[in-house]
Amino acid sequence: MKLTRLFLVALSVSLFVSCSNDDDNNDPKGAYDNGFFILNEGNSGGGSVSFASDDLANFTSDVYKTANPTDVAGVYLQNIFFDGDKAYIIAGGSNVINVVNRYTFKLVAKVETGLINPRYGVVKDGKAYVTNANTYSYINPATGDTDDYIAVIDLATNKVESKIELGATANRILLENGKLYITEPYSSDKLLVVNPATKALETPVNLGYGADTMEVKDGILYILRKPNGERSEILKVKLSDKGTSKIVFPESLDGASNLDIYNDKIYYTVNKSVYAITTTATAASTAAIFTAAISAKGSIYGFAVNNDKIFVADGGDFGSNSKAYIYNLSGSLQKELTVGVGPNGFYFND
Amino acid sequence: MLVVNYKTTARPGEWEGKQQDASQETCLYNKYRALGKKSVEIMTLKKLFAFCLLLLCQIMSAQSDSITKLKTVVVSDSNLKKYSTSQSVLKLNDSVINKNEALLTDLLNFNSTIYFKEYGRGMLSTVAFRGTTSSQTAVIWNGININSQMNGSTDFNTISGSDYNSVSVKAGGGSVIYGSGAVGGTVHLNNDLAFYNRFENNLKLDYGSFNTIGINYKTNISNKKWSTQIGFSKNSSTNDYKYLNQYTWKGEQRWNQNGQYDIITMSANLGYKFDTKNSLKLYSQTSNTDRNTSLITETETRSKYVNGFNRNLLEYDGDFGKLKTNFKTAYIFENYQYYADNSTDLYTFGKTESFIAKADLGYTLFKATQINGILDYNRTKGYGSGFGDNTREISSAALLVKQDFSKDWKNEFGIRKEFTDNYKSPVLFSLGSSYQFGKLYNLKLNLSRNFRIPTFNDLYWEEGGNPDLKPESSYQAEIGNVFTYKNISLTQTFYYIKITDLLRWVPGSNGIWTPQNTDKVNTYGTETLLSWKKQYGKNYFGANATYAYTVSKDIATDKQLFFVPFNKVTAAVSYSRSNISAYYQFLYNGFVYTQSDNDPNEIVDAYLVSNIGIDYDFKFLSSFKLGFQVLNLWNENYESLENRPMPGRNFNVYLNLKF
Repeated sequence: MKLTRLFLVALSVSLFVSCSNDDDNNDPKGAYDNGFFILNEGNSGGGSVSFASDDLANFTSDVYKTANPTDVAGVYLQNIFFDGDKAYIIAGGSNVINVVNRYTFKLVAKVETGLINPRYGVVKDGKAYVTNANTYSYINPATGDTDDYIAVIDLATNKVESKIELGATANRILLENGKLYITEPYSSDKLLVVNPATKALETPVNLGYGADTMEVKDGILYILRKPNGERSEILKVKLSDKGTSKIVFPESLDGASNLDIYNDKIYYTVNKSVYAITTTATAASTAAIFTAAISAKGSIYGFAVNNDKIFVADGGDFGSNSKAYIYNLSGSLQKELTVGVGPNGFYFND
Repeated sequence: MLVVNYKTTARPGEWEGKQQDASQETCLYNKYRALGKKSVEIMTLKKLFAFCLLLLCQIMSAQSDSITKLKTVVVSDSNLKKYSTSQSVLKLNDSVINKNEALLTDLLNFNSTIYFKEYGRGMLSTVAFRGTTSSQTAVIWNGININSQMNGSTDFNTISGSDYNSVSVKAGGGSVIYGSGAVGGTVHLNNDLAFYNRFENNLKLDYGSFNTIGINYKTNISNKKWSTQIGFSKNSSTNDYKYLNQYTWKGEQRWNQNGQYDIITMSANLGYKFDTKNSLKLYSQTSNTDRNTSLITETETRSKYVNGFNRNLLEYDGDFGKLKTNFKTAYIFENYQYYADNSTDLYTFGKTESFIAKADLGYTLFKATQINGILDYNRTKGYGSGFGDNTREISSAALLVKQDFSKDWKNEFGIRKEFTDNYKSPVLFSLGSSYQFGKLYNLKLNLSRNFRIPTFNDLYWEEGGNPDLKPESSYQAEIGNVFTYKNISLTQTFYYIKITDLLRWVPGSNGIWTPQNTDKVNTYGTETLLSWKKQYGKNYFGANATYAYTVSKDIATDKQLFFVPFNKVTAAVSYSRSNISAYYQFLYNGFVYTQSDNDPNEIVDAYLVSNIGIDYDFKFLSSFKLGFQVLNLWNENYESLENRPMPGRNFNVYLNLKF
């Protein structure tokens, strides 16, 4: 009898638990689940984060302030990366990373020490690896171009636990197969390779100056490079042996930016237009998919291709709210959003 | 390897420490914002000193300065008085300045219609006068334009009012006489030398909240031939005030970190009269401002901005009856060092040296008609980590005519043209008339064309400087109505300014920010100045008030320029009786937009700040006053700029000695 009751109770509890597990899987985990964030770099008064749902039906212009009305995220918001149920917002001008719940955007903690001009971050095994520009050579000619480092952050404590000195400049960072790959367009002509396990620099790959955005697919790292006054090109680095090949762009595509790979296609932008080629192509496309509705003073500042959509943010004039545009893959406009000042990136929260 | 590492000096994201703010846009001189997705900006620092007060300001120009003529005083800028009858001049005289002692931001903020934007107490402070930009108000030191050659503006928290005998605010255009930047108005810092027998010393010591210390000393030694004036001022503060009701995410009280400032200025002015016809004057001033920059977030890199100047002006006056001559030569040096991280000794810098020569020949044609012909030569050499090594030469010729048809009807006319290789300069002019209808009413009309030339930063900044810029230019019309009745005077001015070719730094297609003559702006509004004085037996009462209504619209967007309030009000009342004097003053600043799209969520809220003060003269020496002031009496929680809180209620005591 008692055992029976116990059994029934146990059964109902387990049913209840499994039901609620099901609920968890289906229902949004917060107001900002199933959508994407637009990071607005901001002006000297501080930046903001906008959110739109995947179906583009819901939009919040400033989720950080909405969730944390008394806190300032910082100036010059640069990048967001995710780990588990947390989102990490890098404020480059404030030397801080704001740790928020990615579904509610409530502030959980801040990484407040050990960062100097932090730029971009990735996560591996409970640790974040964040590039730090440190000092600049126009202020610090002696070591400004060699003092950049990776801050290694223990995400359990949200503290910088160590630094990996890079002896070069560092900006974008990518994690693939246990290795970190780093580019910096202005003062570095190399792809830095770092083994986070040993914190050792491996032999870099020569790229030339101007290498910036990159993405990996099928063991090949695609890097878009736009040297000043020279032709743009996509460099392909085979990560297994670091062998390189390249697609040199025609002069009409000088200044190509914003490489993003989606479904076997490499997307890139030139001025206000968006282009694509297949990953197997041997030449660049000069036929734009579409030209984005960028304002007169603006440029394509944030860019992403995801969920069968192309996301374009207008940098605007940095003195007023700007726009983000969502197109389908053939370039017809689906939605226009008024976001904050200087939108520089899209981050998908699915 | 032939790959050019283009401008390795510039890497993504640099905060350059320039005083920006030059064109409406707050000027971010960032390089590479888009490319590197980081911006730079400038912030500079400034300081302010909070106490100042002024009760006695006299509001109307032409009428109030006759008193100073009682003793032989040689004014340093005779054209200010001579050619401003058709405009409004607010003069804050020696006694007012001595009584109030403060950096110029507070003095002018509480007593004029000029709007100030401060990056925190004592930090960078720039103005918008009649809805114009910070580089469209010219600051004139003894007749010489001293706006920065590098950024075009003046930081009013680097200037101590006590270093001058008078501070005058002239609303409206003045480029014909004062050159670049005299668009919204001009602020005049004058040292007037007196030639009579005296030996006077004035020492004021202040101590206030946040360890704010002021030491101001001035001595005047003169006889009928010689006049000497030596001054020293030092204003400093640790400036570590608490932010009212603000806590960090950990729950700690927030306070103003890294806001320390220290401003030291020394002045020496010397005059010698050879005879009744010939006199020589030398004005010299050196200043150094050492300030940290207040933070927006506690984690920011702590930076520091050091700037200074050295100004020397030698002036000869010849008075030969109908012919009056005035020759000036000046050497002006200004520099800054910006320490992006003040824990290191690494900095970026800029400095300029200007040599100025000016000849002004005045001739009285008929009894009622005076003519001044002015030739001007200016050579400025600039050198800096941001803009290389450049020299600019500007010559100009101007003709001014003043005609008094009668005691009641006065007219003035001026025309000026500059010659330089750097830019195309418009022909500037000014036309004015003043008519006094009986005792009660004076009508003033003025029409002028004014300009603001591109700065060294605008022209030569690496990268992004644009050598092909035109000057900003403006047409301005105003009508002034001055009513005087017994002890009350009321000045009401309506103005309209059309500004074209407004310079703005915009991101280029390559992501490099560059200045362009993009915007057109219409600004119009009213200014009201009211003053009242009354004596009942031994009781003296005074009241002053100003009100400015300003609409400043970008023609293309029909939006209000950011950081231009629609409304600003100041008021002060004062009372004195024998040894005691007391005052109360307030400042109301309407809200301002912080973005050019006038997003109603992105504003700095309106605020109302009041000060109260009392002092007692113990009558030792010629004067021995002990005073006490409560600043921000009602503990208003306010910001002048977003995320840069100002202090709550705070206190100051002072001792003011004359001997």
